[in-house]
Amino acid sequence: MRTAAGTVEVTIVGQDPGVAAADGRILTARVRVPAGRLEPGPRSHRFHVIDYDAATGRFTAPAGDDLVADNAPGGRFHDPPDDTILADPAFHAQHTWAVAARTLGAFEFALGRRLPWGFPGHELYIVPHAKPEANAYYSPEQRSLLFGYVPLPEGGRMLTCLSHDIVAHETAHAVLDGLRHRYLEPALPDQAAFHEALADIAALLSMFSVREVVEHALGEADADGRIDVERISLEALRGNMLVVLAEQFGTVALHRPQGGLRRSAELDPIEDWRTLRAFEEPHKRGEVLVAAVLRTLLSMWTRRLADFLPAARIDRRRVAEEGATAALHLLHMAIRAVDYLPPVDFEYEDFLEAVLVADTEVAPDDDFGYRPALTSAFAAYGIRRPVDGRVVDLAQADWEPVYHGLNWAAMRSDADEVFRFLWENSAGLGVSPAYYTHVESVRPSVRVGPDGLVVQEVVAEYVQLLECTAGELLARAEAAGLQGAALPARLPAETGVQIFGGGTLVFDQFGRAKYHVTKPLEHWAHQLRRLAYLARNGFYDSRRRLGFSVGAPRGEEFAELHEPDVNVGETW
Amino acid sequence: MVAVVAGVGPKPTTVRVRMYQVGFGDCFLLSFEYARKLPDGRKERHVLLDFGSTRPPQGKRKEVDFAAVAERVAADCNERLDAIVVTHRHRDHLGGFANDAAAAVLERLDPGVILRPWTEDPALEGTATGPLAADARFAHMLGASQDFSLQLQQALAGATHGLRRELRDLAAGQIPNAEAITRLDTWAGRFGAGYLHAGGDAGLARTLPGVGITVLGPPTVAEHPGLVRQRDTDPEYWMLQKDLLGALSLETMLDDDDSDDEEDGQGAAPDAPGALPAGPVRWLGERLRRGHLHSLKRLVTTVDNALNNTSLILLVQVGRKRLLFPGDAQIENWRFILDRLPTEAALRRALAAVDLYKVGHHGSRNATPRSLMTLWSEGAAAERPMLALLSTRAGVHGKREATAVPRSSLVNALTERMTVVTTDTPETPVEVVEVAAPTRTDDPFTVVG
Repeated sequence: MRTAAGTVEVTIVGQDPGVAAADGRILTARVRVPAGRLEPGPRSHRFHVIDYDAATGRFTAPAGDDLVADNAPGGRFHDPPDDTILADPAFHAQHTWAVAARTLGAFEFALGRRLPWGFPGHELYIVPHAKPEANAYYSPEQRSLLFGYVPLPEGGRMLTCLSHDIVAHETAHAVLDGLRHRYLEPALPDQAAFHEALADIAALLSMFSVREVVEHALGEADADGRIDVERISLEALRGNMLVVLAEQFGTVALHRPQGGLRRSAELDPIEDWRTLRAFEEPHKRGEVLVAAVLRTLLSMWTRRLADFLPAARIDRRRVAEEGATAALHLLHMAIRAVDYLPPVDFEYEDFLEAVLVADTEVAPDDDFGYRPALTSAFAAYGIRRPVDGRVVDLAQADWEPVYHGLNWAAMRSDADEVFRFLWENSAGLGVSPAYYTHVESVRPSVRVGPDGLVVQEVVAEYVQLLECTAGELLARAEAAGLQGAALPARLPAETGVQIFGGGTLVFDQFGRAKYHVTKPLEHWAHQLRRLAYLARNGFYDSRRRLGFSVGAPRGEEFAELHEPDVNVGETW
Repeated sequence: MVAVVAGVGPKPTTVRVRMYQVGFGDCFLLSFEYARKLPDGRKERHVLLDFGSTRPPQGKRKEVDFAAVAERVAADCNERLDAIVVTHRHRDHLGGFANDAAAAVLERLDPGVILRPWTEDPALEGTATGPLAADARFAHMLGASQDFSLQLQQALAGATHGLRRELRDLAAGQIPNAEAITRLDTWAGRFGAGYLHAGGDAGLARTLPGVGITVLGPPTVAEHPGLVRQRDTDPEYWMLQKDLLGALSLETMLDDDDSDDEEDGQGAAPDAPGALPAGPVRWLGERLRRGHLHSLKRLVTTVDNALNNTSLILLVQVGRKRLLFPGDAQIENWRFILDRLPTEAALRRALAAVDLYKVGHHGSRNATPRSLMTLWSEGAAAERPMLALLSTRAGVHGKREATAVPRSSLVNALTERMTVVTTDTPETPVEVVEVAAPTRTDDPFTVVG
């Protein structure tokens, strides 16, 4: 089956089956999803839904379903009754596929290129009824998104695969793993928090970009479809709508029973959270970034609504459309930033810097003042643009990169050629050849900014690694003149450690190096800080080394990350 | 509000705690010594707190000889126990009661009363409605989940290595300790019983003059819905899981060729290779089937957590000394008290001034709340001498550093703040650790002998 124009319009659950529309039925939405040739499953060139239950051993073979016909007017899924949504495995399969494909589509659109998975292979398996477990997670080892289910007391099952937010969240984990697979390495807590935060941001903004969901959350309109203007004040939007939306977000996701997003929505600006132990825990820490993004969203939305004011009542649909537009725009801003993030040792400041730089590239004009809105929202949470030049603008540098002997055609796809660029320019780039260095990816991208400007780039990432002992690390730091360098208390100097450095190089359409996002391996203060954090939290591998593994069984990292955690900040 | 209980009547002059060597387990004797004779002519009172083990100490192959431990207790308490406290129903806390010879010795000591958490109250059985219904369901869930663990352990009996063995061992820790519990139930009928909950009366005011015992945990379901708020510790959820799993054949779920390795389950054969079409579906099906062991392990871990969270948490106040015995309580159980600390000043002051801390759950990562450590490490409290008793054995639980018991980051933090005395010293084996302190002065606990 080949879809016209490469997309198909399908019905999905707006939020989760627990959220009812005004007519009392499950709130659904019609969305357009990128698709080429489809096979039963559904199966497309990036996703393959396999309905297999590991506990019962039951495999439900895909029926001879026709996704396009099913979703056309009159088709069984065009306006499905609740019973169909809840009980028809074919709808579960389509729903999970559609939300996942839509999420990947948002990332690909924003980044202007196809995105690889974090495992060898082109198709991500989606298992809508994977096991009777209160969990849903991305498993790189099994190349799959696994959605658990829970039997309900009144009969039937609560299915995590029917929650828009959960599916988008898990898909975002998979996409980010493909883009930055080193983000699963042991690092300072910002990195694990970012995996959670970006997944939440992608899920929330993805849901928010569905107008029906926003309309529903805005509350009932009058007969003319209008709502009171007071409902769209910054505080009202934050206090009512976002909190309501966030409260429902993930309540079905049993792995986050405490309503983490609700806490994000309610998290008042706080600058000193880094000094609080509780915020070392990844989910809790992730909430800070999500809170900053939500604050930005509200600010962007109200700026867009300013044109309609003053008025006593305002058309709910227009308000929702503006909200959805702002959400989609912000989602793309956030995703675009990923290309400008360092491949290792991520910190929140890197994200802010990356969003601002990437957005300036595609949208030099900032008519709605989104970038100042973002900057001030982040500042409210103590996240400020770094002053140490993590994104180096090579056009402004006081040295001239050497291109002699380099082949631009090769640099667009060839890691060896990019390594040669690094080699020739190691001094200027500050990339010491003393360490194992590997160019891990080279990818061309084409993006269209909101102003229609086409931006072509090549994005390459390299990583540097050093395995040594803690004592040797300290000696290097001292030799470099780092004041007050010390190992964590009681850490034996012979403890094995692994440290990372690396960077992202962005080349323009003429093959010139444009930006260098850098995390130097020889940033010894940072390395000792990371070591102290890993030691304090006991992130040793089975050989009592630090920096090699976070200690979860292979393939189960996300399953464990999602375990309910009411103990934030209290454990050791 | 949880009122801190002060002792009534003549105050003991000395408080003594003995920590017996039981490998991975807990067994303590609390002794209170008085200047003058009490009405019964004795000048002392003794409470046995837990009596179990799952592993012998490091370097020993033989299981702990509980008859010998009981005889030692008998000698140390001068042949009379005033109470037996069983913090919760895990084998490492009550397994010794199943030993007939040990039980005979303890019976001889004529324990005044048997104290256990409310979840052990036989009266809960059959209570399907009324104010105690939620409690009863919770208790029933615990029983059901233990039965499930037993089935799992039996199904995995032949496992020799890897994740299957790990799962079997984890399940083995949860199985019903029927003999020990039956004996305790019998004793409860004979000697008297108390089933305690947070904020309730420990009922020992007359038995232990001058000693105040505040029950800090476990809360009942009604007191603290948070105990079961987590969806996967919700009794309803668990019952359904159990029913669902009961409907499945454990043999089918666990049927692979036992050649999986410990971390990733690679190498196991599929359950029914012909059942799935060859190609991507079979590739994934086989891996999911193996990954299911991880799911079962997470499930059994929730049983373990739930049982730990039924632990009694007792704060003992005697003169100027405070002793904290939290059993294996994890944060969910502690949370009931932690949530009160900001508003209940007396409770906060009492906890900040603890002199002796029995390290929760043998030093696991989630049984000593960081808030508690903060309380002990800030302001004037930071200057108070403290002593910690750690009954544990390394290498039993937590193959991974992140889940290891005892957890190194906790032990380091404890060592920084207080004197830590442990039974896990294979190079210099100990049979008993004895510490004592005067109750009328600020002189700290010291190790005796």
